[in-house]
This record gives sequence, C-alpha cells and structure tokens, in this order.
Amino acid sequence: MSRVRLSRWLLAIPMSLLALATIYPLLFTVNVAMKTRRDYILDRFSVTDTLRWDNISAAWNSVGMDRYFLNSLIVVTSSVVLLLLLGSMAGFALSQLRFRGSSALFLGCLAGLFVPFQVIMVPLARIMADTALIDTYPGLVLVFVAQFLPFTVFLMTSYYKTIPREVIDAARIDGNSVYGVYRRIMLPLGTPALLSVGILNALFCWNDVLMSLVMMPSADHRTLMVGVTSLRGQYSDDIPTFASGVLIAAIPVLVVYLFLQRQIADGVAAGSTKG
Amino acid sequence: MPIGNAEPSVRPVPAGRTDGAAAGSARRRRGARARPGRGGSRAERFAPYVLVAPAILIIVVLRLYPLLLGVNFSFTGDGERNGQAVGLDNYLELIEDPLFRTALSNVGLLVLLLPVAVAIPGLLATFIYLKVPGHRFYRSVYFFPAVLSPVIVGAIFNLLLAFDGPVNAVFEAVGISPVDWLGNPDVAMFVVVGVHVWATFGMALVVFLAGFATLDAALLDAARVDGASLPQVIRHVIIPGLSRTIAFVAVTTMVGMLTSMFGLLYVMTSGGPEGSTYLPEYYIWIQQGQMNRPALASAASTVLFVIMLVVGLLQVKLLRRAGGED
Repeated sequence: MSRVRLSRWLLAIPMSLLALATIYPLLFTVNVAMKTRRDYILDRFSVTDTLRWDNISAAWNSVGMDRYFLNSLIVVTSSVVLLLLLGSMAGFALSQLRFRGSSALFLGCLAGLFVPFQVIMVPLARIMADTALIDTYPGLVLVFVAQFLPFTVFLMTSYYKTIPREVIDAARIDGNSVYGVYRRIMLPLGTPALLSVGILNALFCWNDVLMSLVMMPSADHRTLMVGVTSLRGQYSDDIPTFASGVLIAAIPVLVVYLFLQRQIADGVAAGSTKG
Repeated sequence: MPIGNAEPSVRPVPAGRTDGAAAGSARRRRGARARPGRGGSRAERFAPYVLVAPAILIIVVLRLYPLLLGVNFSFTGDGERNGQAVGLDNYLELIEDPLFRTALSNVGLLVLLLPVAVAIPGLLATFIYLKVPGHRFYRSVYFFPAVLSPVIVGAIFNLLLAFDGPVNAVFEAVGISPVDWLGNPDVAMFVVVGVHVWATFGMALVVFLAGFATLDAALLDAARVDGASLPQVIRHVIIPGLSRTIAFVAVTTMVGMLTSMFGLLYVMTSGGPEGSTYLPEYYIWIQQGQMNRPALASAASTVLFVIMLVVGLLQVKLLRRAGGED
C-alpha cells in the first residue's frame, strides 16, 4: 500500500506542473494588462507593482468594446431564453406525452446534432440574406437557437423522463390543461436542468466566433469575440491594451466559472452519460 | 440513447373537462375514432404538437433543410455559371486545390493525434479518480480553459508564442534557440493543435470522471489488493470498464477538432504560414466569405460532412469491437 501512496505523491508533480501550465497563461495576460507599454517591453515577466486600470478603460472606450459587449449581451440573453423555452416545451412533450409521431420527431431533433454549422454555413447565410435577417440581432439569435436546440431538447427530454408520471397525472386530475402542467409543474421541476443547460448554452453563444462572424458582419454589430479578433490588427504594437481587451471578453466567463463551476461540469457530464 | 417513448401517456381526464369547447369538439369528433379515455378537447390533443412544433420547425428549416440545399448547391457553379448545373466540377477543383489538400492532410494529422488527445484527459481523470493529493483542486483548474472562447485562448497564446514573446525568452534563458512557433510551416499546425488540446482537455476530463462514477469500485479494490500496478489497473480494469466513455470522448474530441478550431486558426495563424494550418472549416469560410465562391465552399462542406460521418461511424465500430473482446 505504501508503494501506491508514494506513487500518488509522485503523480502530484506532473499534475501540479500541468495545473500551472493551465493557469499561468491567464495570469500572464492579467499581469500584462496591468502594465504600461514601456514596462512590458522592458520586462515581460515581472509582476506589476501597481494595479493600473488605464488599459482596461482604454480598450473599453476607444475600440468599441462597450458596443461589442452590449451586442453580445443582447444576442446571448435572447438566445438562451428562447432555447430554454423551446427546449423545455419540446422536452416535456417528447418525454411525458404520448402522441403519434413522437419518436420520429425526437429523431428529427437528434439529427440536428450531427449537422455542424460549418457544413450548412453557405446555404444558411443565403437563407438569412433572402429573409433580410443577415446582420440583424434576430438573425444571429435564430442561428444560435438552431445550433444549440438539438442538444437542449435532448438534455431536457432525458431530464424530464426522470419525473414520475404520477406527478403529472395528479396535476391533470386537479384540472390542469397540458399547458398548465407545463407551466405549473414542468418548468419549476425542471429548474436544475434548465440552469445547467442555460449556463452551457450561454457559454457556447458567448464564446462563438464563426457564426457571429458570418451572420453579423458589419462593424457596429460585432459580438465581443469578433471584436477581440479585430483588436489584433489595431493593437499589435500595444500589447497591454490588447491584453486588456482580451480580459474584458474573458471576465464574464471567468466570473460565471467561479460561481457556477458545478453546474457547468454537471451539464457536460449529463450530455455524455445520457448519450 | 433514450429514443422513442414506450410508456403510457398522460391522458386527459374527461371528468375535468366539461367546458363548452371540450363538449363542442367531442361532438365534432367521429364516433368510430373516439376511444374511451382518449377524449379531451381538440386543443388538448394538439397540445403535444404545439409544444414540439417550434423546436422541430427551427431544426428542420435552419439545420436539416440547409444540409440538402448545400449538397444540391455544391453541384452548381459560381460567378458567371451561378445556378447552372456543373456536375462534379467543384469537387474536381477541390482535389486540385493545394490548400484543400493541405486541409485534408491536416485532418489526417488530427486523426493521428487523436489517441494522444484522448489519452491525456483519460490518464488525468484516472489519477483524479484514484484521489491523488489535491484532486479536487486539479479538477477545477483543468476544467477552467474549457470555458474560454477559442478567440480568447488564441489571443493569449499569440502573446505567449510571439517570436519575441515570453516562451522564447525562457528558451533563450536556458540556451535553446528560439522557435518561430506560428511562423514555421512545419511547426505551426502542431502548435495550434496543442493549444486546442490545452483548451479542451478539461471538457473530456469531466466526461471521463462521469464515466468513472459508473465503474465498479469493487473491481478496482480487488485489483489493488492483488497488488496490481497502476499501468495494470489501467489496462485490465479501467479501459475495459470505460470502453463506452472512451468511445464517446474519442468521437466528441474528433468532432471538436474538426468543427471548433476555427477561432484558433482565425486568431493565431489565419491558415498560414504558407497555408499550412488550413482545416476544412477554415477553407469553407475563406471560399464563402473572402473568395466569393459559395458553391465551391458548399462542395468543401459536403466533403467535411462525409468525413465526419465516416470518422464517427469508424470510431464507434472500432471501439465497440475493442470493448467486446475484453
């Protein structure tokens, strides 16, 4: 047994090195964002002695990061609300109600999982252009919803399957319509799954670049991630401001991660074990 | 996969539905079709469809229909030949295009690197499962890059890997000559894949840990009592016990490498140097958005779709067989 214990401690060495490799790039970026340009050129590694927020506010104001941030917030919030609403409605029906064609409809939803955006990018952009939805908020929201809905329906269906039928039967006897059951029973009972799936979807939408780039091309419609990519050209000689822009885009995600780590990991795990 | 629904339905309770609408629709219903206990107003009977309709509609119109449209589109021409049927011309052009060939050979490289990308999170999950000191800490640190956008990750590594950047500064300090990480065509693709693995192994780690939760702990204890070494435990207990999880991680990792590296390529290399870091998804984007060749892009999309189908089916089959032999 002691041999096992020793080997465990030996394993801790590469594992903590890897942990360092995981966390250091971000710490480096934070440190750089706090430096002046001169400090950065003189010494890249030294830990900054003062916390300067000048770069952050410069990136926020001058490049239009504020505008990009707002764009992202609008699109992501609307997408997640729609995803949860449509996903839970479909999930409820597919898991708890019996109706003709339900398994075919479920398979139809699942089929969406196997069609990545890259594969349908060209026709989808054309459809969006034909319907005048390209470069609009609703257009990108629809594309996000279509992208993540199969996964959302799938997870909500498997979650609602675990709710005993008696719960719904009892609600029906109390005189609730199907919609009443959805609103009064399924939505509240689905909260843990909705939270998990909602956070995951919010992350996916917030982090997306390709869909945003194709569907929202004009400069003042850029989402935050597309905005970050445009920083590179503008601030190639001003690394601290560049790092600040990157940080602005990362901070919301970092905050979400710090507080909701559990739910994110649960969502990922649920997606895999129920597959 | 929980496909279909064999359980009995929630039945509308006729007693609770004596309002006018219900009675009206009941009258309209044809007597022969009306089974007892299956009543309820028309609205009630249509309710499941109403609930599913928006989701199905969106998925069909914005996911499945475009797939057909795209395949169809790939057999038509661009520019002057817009809309005309051109047979396999686009596909022939793809084969001739050195950039698309590079993209395909890079897919081959990804397939070769796949075992590494699966083994790393698998091993780490094993260590965490065996409760290496500090395992909770490692778990949350490792997962953290997985929540960052490829754009953020790419931008951070642009800073770290710049020719005059910190990584090369460290190299110089220890006497190794600096490497042009993103400017050397022989190196750049490996760097980008490495960064992708850095950013995503936490996702696979969590999936592995969820798989471990289903593993029979008694088997593991028995192996340890028998004095099995760690490699033996991994080979004879963990791998056979987790074959389903391994298959799932392999498929999702491959799909991830094929469909979620755009952000990294866009930020880190723009497909360069010398087109060496092209992947199909980047090629599609370039042809569609920059070169104005949507039909050619559609052909590349179709090829990517076929690759993904083949890779997925092959891996599931191989791993199922491997799991069956043990």
